[in-house]
Amino acid sequence: MILPYFIAIPLLSAFLIALIAGRRDSWAILLSNVAATSLLILSVYVLAARHGETLIYEMGGWMPPLGIVLVQDALTGLMLVLVSLISLLSLIFSVSYIRHLDRSWRYYALFMLLITGMNGVIITGDLFNLFVFMEIALFSAFALVAYGGRAEEYEAAFKYAVMGALSSAIILIGIAVLYSATSTLTMAGIAEVLPEKDPKIMYWVGGLFLAGFGLKAAVIPFHAWLPDAHSSAPAPISAMLSGVLIKVPGIYVLMRVFMNVFGAPDLFMQTFLVLGTVSILIGVFLAVGQWDMKRLLAYHSISQIGYILLGMGLATPLGILGAVFHLFNHAVFKSLLFYNAGAVEVALGTRDLKRMGNLTRILPVTSLTSMVASLSISGIPPFNGFFSKLILIIAAIQAGRPGLALAAAVGSLLTLASFMKLQKYGFRGEREVKTVKATIGWGMKTAMIVLAVCCLLSSFLVMPGIREICLDPVVSVLLDPSRYIQMVMGR
Amino acid sequence: MADPMLLMLIYAPLLAGALNLFFPRVLQKILAGLCLGLCGYLAAVLFSGGVVPFPGDSAPVPLRYFGLDRLSLFALVAVQALALIIFLFTLRGVDSEIEKSFFVLYPLTLGFTNGTLLSDNAVALMIFWGLSGLMLYLFNLLGRGAGAPESAKKTFILVGGSDAFLILGLVLMGVSLPAAGWSLHLMRFPLAGFANILAFVCLAIAALAKAGGFPLHTWVPPFAKEAPVEAVAFMPASLDKILGIYLLARMVTSLFAVTTAVHLVLITLGTVTVITAVMMALIQHNGRRLLGYHAVSQVGYMIMGVGSGSALAFAGGLFHLLNNAIYKSSLFLTLGSVEKKTGSHELDDLGGLGALMPVTSLAGLISALSISGIPPFNGFFSKWMIYQGLLEKARDASRPEAIWLLICLVLAVFGSALTLASFLKFLHAVFLGKRPKVHDGVTEAPVNQRISTAILSLLCIVFGLFAIHIPLREFILPILHENGMAVPAYPGVYKAGLVLVMMAAAFALALLVYLLTRRKVRYDDVYLGGMDALEKFRVSGTAFYREIRDMEPLRFLYDQAEKHRFDLKEILTGGTLRLSGLFQKVHPGFLSLYLLFIVLGMLVFLLIK
Repeated sequence: MILPYFIAIPLLSAFLIALIAGRRDSWAILLSNVAATSLLILSVYVLAARHGETLIYEMGGWMPPLGIVLVQDALTGLMLVLVSLISLLSLIFSVSYIRHLDRSWRYYALFMLLITGMNGVIITGDLFNLFVFMEIALFSAFALVAYGGRAEEYEAAFKYAVMGALSSAIILIGIAVLYSATSTLTMAGIAEVLPEKDPKIMYWVGGLFLAGFGLKAAVIPFHAWLPDAHSSAPAPISAMLSGVLIKVPGIYVLMRVFMNVFGAPDLFMQTFLVLGTVSILIGVFLAVGQWDMKRLLAYHSISQIGYILLGMGLATPLGILGAVFHLFNHAVFKSLLFYNAGAVEVALGTRDLKRMGNLTRILPVTSLTSMVASLSISGIPPFNGFFSKLILIIAAIQAGRPGLALAAAVGSLLTLASFMKLQKYGFRGEREVKTVKATIGWGMKTAMIVLAVCCLLSSFLVMPGIREICLDPVVSVLLDPSRYIQMVMGR
Repeated sequence: MADPMLLMLIYAPLLAGALNLFFPRVLQKILAGLCLGLCGYLAAVLFSGGVVPFPGDSAPVPLRYFGLDRLSLFALVAVQALALIIFLFTLRGVDSEIEKSFFVLYPLTLGFTNGTLLSDNAVALMIFWGLSGLMLYLFNLLGRGAGAPESAKKTFILVGGSDAFLILGLVLMGVSLPAAGWSLHLMRFPLAGFANILAFVCLAIAALAKAGGFPLHTWVPPFAKEAPVEAVAFMPASLDKILGIYLLARMVTSLFAVTTAVHLVLITLGTVTVITAVMMALIQHNGRRLLGYHAVSQVGYMIMGVGSGSALAFAGGLFHLLNNAIYKSSLFLTLGSVEKKTGSHELDDLGGLGALMPVTSLAGLISALSISGIPPFNGFFSKWMIYQGLLEKARDASRPEAIWLLICLVLAVFGSALTLASFLKFLHAVFLGKRPKVHDGVTEAPVNQRISTAILSLLCIVFGLFAIHIPLREFILPILHENGMAVPAYPGVYKAGLVLVMMAAAFALALLVYLLTRRKVRYDDVYLGGMDALEKFRVSGTAFYREIRDMEPLRFLYDQAEKHRFDLKEILTGGTLRLSGLFQKVHPGFLSLYLLFIVLGMLVFLLIK
């Protein structure tokens, strides 16, 4: 009975905000933060107190294949915690950040719709329902990217909407083909029936889904929307987009569909390996030449998604563990980096690294937390990125693919080079900055500090005792499709 | 029995570093001092007890993270001693703006270095190695000069980036030998097959980058110039050299069965390191950069010795590692004392300070003679062993190999001569010649700094005179014995006592000649065609080797080197940015093009079925 709350709470709060907020944003802030906090508490409770247990909720009491089911297993549990954590911190960050733009409730209403969409995608067990929630999340995201109201933001949102619409159409065709072949939209039901069908159906639909969901995940060659959208959006929305949105309708759905529904066919796993490696290297090469701080971060998102795909493509327990762990870590450090970029933009009014300077005295919290995030993404111990990349390299070598491990190591080196550039020009430049345009609010500082601490603490997720609760069950879910079918279909 | 002591050597400095985040400065120093004292004591106990817990350790292999063998014991004792001596220097003199951060990083660095040396588990080694690299970056950021962020960036890209290769190499080894349970002392690989060769290359990259060997050395001179001088003496002059060469030594003794070809490659790399770095040192005008290039040059000797495959040269390489850490940290600290008194480390701004800073200049002189390989100081003996080892190797090698080895040997000896030439310039520029008027009021360095440099200089003498009795017999020969190498029978040519007597006789003879032929010396002003002896006519010494700089084809090579054309990091950066530019050209922002990407991508996916 707990599962519908993950959709109902943000959806209700979005409408309540629109109804009662009025001209000021105070009620909107209060309502959205209360809703996000309750979602975080609920998601942590479900993950910690009911670990390993799969929860099923049949909407309206209709059993599949007639009705829609909501499913909570270890993978959804982890994803819900991640979405709730980043959402809450982004809302806290937004309190003072968005007030630099306006004091409207609309931002918070759209934000809650974004959460609704993502939570819906995560917990639904129905493919078409997933599509609907994905569209809710994406439409909110289009609007939020354009929220600043400047020409470049409208252009980025337009490009995002056009490319997003094309990919959604591709996905819809895939769902239609799948439905015509299996007569069901429940993912577990499709997984049950699909092995009896002509394998070509799976391969064709897989191709369509790879392109469609690959675009949501910003995998090369479907990545071109991301740099514009992520760099133009308000910083907390960039954090949401890069931290969780590319992962929920992107990586999460790819994991769920290709591993639990299609049963991890070798051809698709090989394709993931190729796409992952290409994304790691081309993404980082694109990033290293950037001078716009948010654009640099955006290209790194493509590269880091490549690491996750690499782990998925290995399809070994350790590879999946590395992929899931890196997914979590990337959400943490990349959101923090976008907060840092937002804070610098508020303080200096620029995203151009060449126009920044020495900010260590005037923005100590931003400088310090950006250093932590930079070290994390670069894979420097003892921060979280080190451990997830290490696991991925071990997994690649164990799988007999030292070349891929070498690519991951080279990608890591170039990431380090790129973030050393960011640190040098962005925070320790030659020009001593003595005054700022606007101060960094407490909410922004709190969000940055919390995520910086998370960069360190989430390293412990792989420690024995914690790993068994948080990560191992996720690996089991992804490696054993029959369990997913059994839990949802009850047979 | 040994485990708690080993853990204490790691945890105590880490705890001190963490507590120092919150302590006031005085307490920071007290805590750091206590912690260093404790570590020194523990190292002494381990050394005197001869504890070698690897074979007798009862912990099952997968659970064993830390251990100690003779090689790590040698490095561990050297690190504790150097940390303590350099700490004495830091007690008074660290820039007050960075003092608080400095005394947080100092014990942390010691803890991570100890962790690296004591790690028997490959994953533990990766973590501690990476953390010690991070300390290098943070120390560099403490530099007050405008170039500090740039040099920190360069340092961490090279050193931190090489960590990725260390990880790759160790994982390749750990995965291909699961029975070893990631225990380093249970791994031994032949250098055959793609994976093993790749692992060796990856580890060699990490070792060379850390130690500052060619072609990954280019972070050392900028770091030496921009970081706080105490940090320079502590890290690239001492600890990082020890860590890098320690890893190389472990690679050639226990991790890999190294072939003759690899020995030759390492010897060649060492020779190139010696010559290229010393040639660059010759033309430097900045004291710290000069010492930084010499720090690189000396690594060349260590690589030659340790990587040669000769037991005698291997012992010489390790001995040179110890000696270099002593005289190089002494030289940096000496220059640091001068810098703190004069406010400059530019050689053109210094001069004539020997009379005003007698203890500091004497320490500088002894260290300079040591690094130049002048007997009876320690640097001579270790270089001598390396040369002897290479000669022995050449004797037993095939003709082409022997010729190649002899060429390397000659170049190494030539490098040593150039080192002496370079330090004559250094000594003249800092301590001799005419003193700029602005430095007339300079006084001797504080007592803590004098004690620190004096101890290091004394060690240069003691380890030269008693080389066989103390460092070799107590520390280095047991390493050879443990690794099954034949302990070398010393060629009878070198006897420290005999050399000392002969040198004393030479000096006595020179004194006698001087006394017998003594004339009254007339002191006069410099004649400058009737002009006043202005400051600008002062000979600082930095132009001693301008002829070499201007000599063809060296001029061309120096020009290219100063434009960073031989800097591997700059070459790779240029290549990376060109590639980045190419990829960016395919991202012009046209929606139609991006839609084409999507459609083409989808078609490819649909067609590969």
